[in-house]
Amino acid sequence: MTSSLPTFSKATAAATILLVGSISWALVGAGLQVLSTLQLLIPSLAYILPIPWISYGKLTPLTTFLFTYGWITSGFLGVLTILIPRISGIPFRYGRVLAGAAILWNVAVLVGLAEILWNGSTGLISMPFSRSVTALFFLSFIILGTGLTRGLGRSWKTGPLLPRLYLLGALLAFPLGLGTAELLLRGGLAPGALQIMMQFVWNSFLHHLWLTPLALVLLFQLLPVLTGRPVGSLSLGLLCWVATITLGGWIGNSLASEGPVPSWLQSAGVVSTLLLGIAVWGNGTLLKALLEGKWEECRRQVALRFLAVGLWSYLASYAWLAFLALPAVRQTTTFTIVAQATQTLLLFSFYGNVLAGAIYALLPASRAMGWPSHPALTIHFWFSTIGLGLIASSYSLAGIFQGLALNDPGVPMSTISSYLRPFLCTVLVGQVLWWIGQLSFSTLFFASLLKLFPSVAPAAIFPADYEDPSPLLTEGKY
Amino acid sequence: MKSGQALLIVFLSLLFAWAGQIALGYFQVGRLEPILNEETNYPEPPVPSGLAQTGARVFASQGCIECHSLSVRGPSGSSDLTRGWGPRRTVPRDYLFREPALIGSARVGSDLSNIGLRIPDSKDLMMHLWNPRMRNPNSTCPPHPWLFEKKVAGPRLENEALPIPTKDWKQILPTYQAKSLVAYLQSLHSDYALPEAPIK
Repeated sequence: MTSSLPTFSKATAAATILLVGSISWALVGAGLQVLSTLQLLIPSLAYILPIPWISYGKLTPLTTFLFTYGWITSGFLGVLTILIPRISGIPFRYGRVLAGAAILWNVAVLVGLAEILWNGSTGLISMPFSRSVTALFFLSFIILGTGLTRGLGRSWKTGPLLPRLYLLGALLAFPLGLGTAELLLRGGLAPGALQIMMQFVWNSFLHHLWLTPLALVLLFQLLPVLTGRPVGSLSLGLLCWVATITLGGWIGNSLASEGPVPSWLQSAGVVSTLLLGIAVWGNGTLLKALLEGKWEECRRQVALRFLAVGLWSYLASYAWLAFLALPAVRQTTTFTIVAQATQTLLLFSFYGNVLAGAIYALLPASRAMGWPSHPALTIHFWFSTIGLGLIASSYSLAGIFQGLALNDPGVPMSTISSYLRPFLCTVLVGQVLWWIGQLSFSTLFFASLLKLFPSVAPAAIFPADYEDPSPLLTEGKY
Repeated sequence: MKSGQALLIVFLSLLFAWAGQIALGYFQVGRLEPILNEETNYPEPPVPSGLAQTGARVFASQGCIECHSLSVRGPSGSSDLTRGWGPRRTVPRDYLFREPALIGSARVGSDLSNIGLRIPDSKDLMMHLWNPRMRNPNSTCPPHPWLFEKKVAGPRLENEALPIPTKDWKQILPTYQAKSLVAYLQSLHSDYALPEAPIK
């Protein structure tokens, strides 16, 4: 079993708090998401039980908030708190301050949850919370971000470059995007139409300049370590990094179709999305090469399999976004539930799988713990993957049918709603499966943290292949 | 690559995205002004009342935007106009006085950009909020009974009371939230022509 080095132990509490928060918010969000879909599927439920704080209009923004800020962001910050001092070789100082910031982040999520349940959402895209929650996020980010950047410059030449570059981009994009959005959307500085553009810009910054680069930090750091291969071409990697950072902030406007966003910005969004697709293809080429011939290891090792699925989801998400940006497709799919398919691919499939893989790979390096070879590992992988496959495919098909029907003025709105029902049934099944997968993961996670399993190994291995786990993931490799 | 170079590239890239959209957007859209209607001497788009502005926040807080959009698209590639969702397409100037400015992401229900034209009567809108299935039995819109209160009626129903028979001599009265939400919905109409979006 891996033991944690005392020099790195100061950040352990912060990482644990962030990861415990992340997994808890995912469970809460998954439950509320099922309730929300149930209400969309059976509208009569709202007539039988008209309860304001569990209405569809409140649960939908709430679940997106919990998944984005609670599950994914908290989780990414948690695994990066474990990873960064190990790749820089410079341990964190002021562990209590970091732990305080980790608590603050989760308090912000809790306050946001309470606000949306009681007072409702602000209606703003990717910003359904009040100014006080923004302030809490900011304060927490400043401390955690300072911790993460510490050592980045001093150790610049002593390790892989691409993860550092993506981390640098993400750490600058988040405060710039959130700060501008807060000032323009609630500071009274922007008139109406500009507010809508700002919402799209913030949505782009949040997903494509904050969460995607963080996921790429983990992919570019962990895949070479787990496969024992270096990234093939640094030049291609640098080109893709520049393209990702330059174009990521622009692609939100490709989601708009006429209305408040000027045409040139919509066209710029479309071009950026298509060009970003090329950068993603470049990154995919680099990362896929690491997995070539490693099928047996992907089948056996839990972390590697989740990261591999995360990588494929990265390619699928941006290919899907490029497809949606095509003018003919955009006219059909704007204002449909295709947006939910995009969210499923990005948030759950790409970020979620990368996060799960990173937790499986990194947690033993942070705490003196390991993973049992338990059937729950298999349940986590298959239930999550099948669940997400069902959700994404159903939302995609439903959204395309919905768009085609909306464009036919002869089809009444009530008929369009009835078209959605069979797809929503499948979505519901997928969400329940994903929830079971998360329950299984959280059981493993908490039981492993509490050291309840008699036999554990540092690398999580699926039960069918559990023979002699070679400890690939040792402290020194990060 | 040195860390300073990387920092400069990141800074310039983010500045490009930020300035390209926000700063240029501000110069194009942020400086739009209302058009003065010389016949009525009122600005267009009209400035919503204070009650309607409060209603915009109620609209957002109730999550109406999760199922309804606030943007009518033009005739090419969409049937918004044919469906009767508005007399013309929506343009940036229409959002001039909207606070918060919302657009929506999915159309589980119809577009509401011109709901004030389609359902001008406040009683009808109140009835829809109380129980959408009283107006349309196939409606998938959830009821919002928490925006109303039941009070014991006097000898006569109050003017604001919903025309619904209730038990125990009670009447159903809209709360301030319901009134402001209805005022907001009534303020949603684009029946005025703009230079960039004439009514044909």
